[in-house]
Amino acid sequence: MKKLVICLLFLCLCYSFASAGLLDKDKFEFNGYVKTETSFRIDGSANTTLDKFKNFIDLAGQYKISGDELVFFLHARYWYDFAYGLNDKLDPAQYYMQHVQRTDWLRDCYLDFIKDRWFLRLGKQQVVWGQADGIAILDRVNPFDLTEYWLPDAPDIRIPLWMANINYSPKLNSNIQLLIIPDFEQSTAAPPPAPFAFRSYKLYEDFKKFWIGPPKPGHPFTGALNQNIYYPDDPIKIGFQWKDKISGWDYTLNYLYGYDYLARTYLDSTVVQILPRQPPKITRNYGRRFKIDQLVGGSLNHTFTREGPLKGVTLRADAAVYINEPTYYGNAATGESAGVNRWNNIFWLMGLDRFFFTKYLASFQFAQYIMEHDDGGVFNPSTKRPYDTLNTYTNGAQDKLENIFSLKISSHYMNDKLLPEVLWSFTDDNQGRISPKINYEVNDNLWLTLGYHYFYGDPRDSNGEFRNENQLYLNVKYTF
Amino acid sequence: MKKLVLLLVGIALLAGYAYGADLEYFQVYAPKDGMSADEIMQVEYFVKYTKFLRDVEFYGKAYLIDKSGATRERGTLRQRITLGRKSDNVAYKDLNMFTSPAQVKGMATLSWTYLDPKRQQDIWIWLPSLKKIRKVSTASSDDSFMGSDFSVEDILTRRFEDETYTLVGQENFKGYTSKFDNKTYYQGTPSFVIECKSKRSPWYYSKRVLWVDKKTGGGFYEEKYDPNGKKFMTLFKNFVVYNVNGKEFPMQTIIEGEDLRTGHRSVIINSDIKIDKGLLEEKFSEGTLSQQRW
Repeated sequence: MKKLVICLLFLCLCYSFASAGLLDKDKFEFNGYVKTETSFRIDGSANTTLDKFKNFIDLAGQYKISGDELVFFLHARYWYDFAYGLNDKLDPAQYYMQHVQRTDWLRDCYLDFIKDRWFLRLGKQQVVWGQADGIAILDRVNPFDLTEYWLPDAPDIRIPLWMANINYSPKLNSNIQLLIIPDFEQSTAAPPPAPFAFRSYKLYEDFKKFWIGPPKPGHPFTGALNQNIYYPDDPIKIGFQWKDKISGWDYTLNYLYGYDYLARTYLDSTVVQILPRQPPKITRNYGRRFKIDQLVGGSLNHTFTREGPLKGVTLRADAAVYINEPTYYGNAATGESAGVNRWNNIFWLMGLDRFFFTKYLASFQFAQYIMEHDDGGVFNPSTKRPYDTLNTYTNGAQDKLENIFSLKISSHYMNDKLLPEVLWSFTDDNQGRISPKINYEVNDNLWLTLGYHYFYGDPRDSNGEFRNENQLYLNVKYTF
Repeated sequence: MKKLVLLLVGIALLAGYAYGADLEYFQVYAPKDGMSADEIMQVEYFVKYTKFLRDVEFYGKAYLIDKSGATRERGTLRQRITLGRKSDNVAYKDLNMFTSPAQVKGMATLSWTYLDPKRQQDIWIWLPSLKKIRKVSTASSDDSFMGSDFSVEDILTRRFEDETYTLVGQENFKGYTSKFDNKTYYQGTPSFVIECKSKRSPWYYSKRVLWVDKKTGGGFYEEKYDPNGKKFMTLFKNFVVYNVNGKEFPMQTIIEGEDLRTGHRSVIINSDIKIDKGLLEEKFSEGTLSQQRW
């Protein structure tokens, strides 16, 4: 907190100096905004509760140390969500959800060096790979903050890391990128009962409540539970990307090696203590571990510019193989995990974008997530059948082949003052999300956003789990 | 007979194309009395897309003004490198960025325009809201350009080959009074008056009437008429003649458009123009977009 205050003060001072002309305006640039995000949860009975009243201050500045060759960039953001003080139901999640956590206030802090064919960006930053929108196939360099599911803008979901981002362009329109990431942060999610807490987290909370404590029906022993998180001792991550163009087709080849940012839970041991004249005490020891996996993939991007039926269509594609990706298995009906497999899974996507009726842009995406096997491969001793493969976030059944679709239509009116869009994303399991949104520019500095997230589907599916948590939201943003 | 007509049309088109091909990049051309409408328009397009320059950089402001006078302002930076390169068919490359206000600051587009008039531009966009580069489809030519009153083709995509031209007269222009700065421009300027009709039909305009400065070849004023023949748009451009290394050429310093149906106006002021400063082609690549910080 102290560092954040110092940083904000520093940026404000710079802004004051710049405004007063004490700093060279050619060298120093500064911008920021204050924003309020208000949202209401609308459950299945159309009851409405305030679930977000989040207020942001965001400041960013750059200083050109030596022309455009050497530039320092700093970006800080602080937020506080008053809903966690106003809504008692949210209290258990207050500690994690009410204010910015640890060093997350520092969004960017890096030094850019640009010389001839070299581009180096050293410091805290986010790096984006791939062409997919809203689906992370290659975009796995940074961990994710999923405390609000996948609803915020992508840069607000990615958690920045300290890294060396080294780029060299051996020829025109090509680029070699090497990422050396000695930093590590785990991907985060909302704890229950925060809005958009994942089902798997809720199930674990319910399990803890059931397990811990004195004997009760169906539980004739004293239960205890320990959970340890084992952070990697040496969490270096390495990334490599080759980017080039062949006959108007942009392509990349990507490779990423290092610890997965999402910890998986393992049952390490079950200790039974027989106590004289007392019910036995059973302690379950869980360990949350991060596993090393690899990503091998690539992307394609092309706009058809020549005469023909496809003229004006932009094609995007991502494909990746996740080698040794940790994959849960267990009982999909109860949502109980029994263990973790290490599989080679495939995720690929194709997207098409095209304008129609002059001012409407349609973006369609089709993706397939292909698990290496149909089932967990390990037999469930009680059913004598193999365990189910589980969805990491819901502990519901994960199909071997998951078909995912999205369609976004966007347009503009009133000389771009009014920007409506609607996103429909869904899977072949009849579950999905429909999110209409309108942005309105009141003036150069004031922007309003009004939107709605409607979820549907089975509660064991990734969108269906929020079917009673539809959200109406209004954002007000003032920039300076 | 039909074949003969087609043959004549073909010869005429080839002649037009040959004239276009004769306009060599990096040379300065001006219209002359006695030129045909096609020849004048070849020069006009040459001037519009600054094909006489190696590179150019414009710093400026764009203003979007409601009928009520409420004004939105955008800071802009535009860079262009002219290549006219036959090996890969690239005519020129543009880099456009918003420098203000904060909400759109950092948004940048890179476009490559090809010599082949039938080939669309390649466009990449850096979206600060996604922090990623997207290759995008060329917007429809009749769509609004970045929220302004100009259409996409007014600014970016219209080519010589897209219209037919008729020289309807020569006159000393009556003058245009800008609503932005209340100054009167081009009063009494000798000009060609060209009627331009789109080869597309139906199209959002039936014709454009364009006034071309006899001295520089700059198309400085135009009126657009809807399919019913009603005037719905005026577009004014102010050209200032620059002299760089002994070469004189016109550059656009003001572009002002008004939609007569809505009363909405758009003004682009290029206040700082840097010519042939030696921009490298490497700058006009996706790499530059990915170096954006905002």
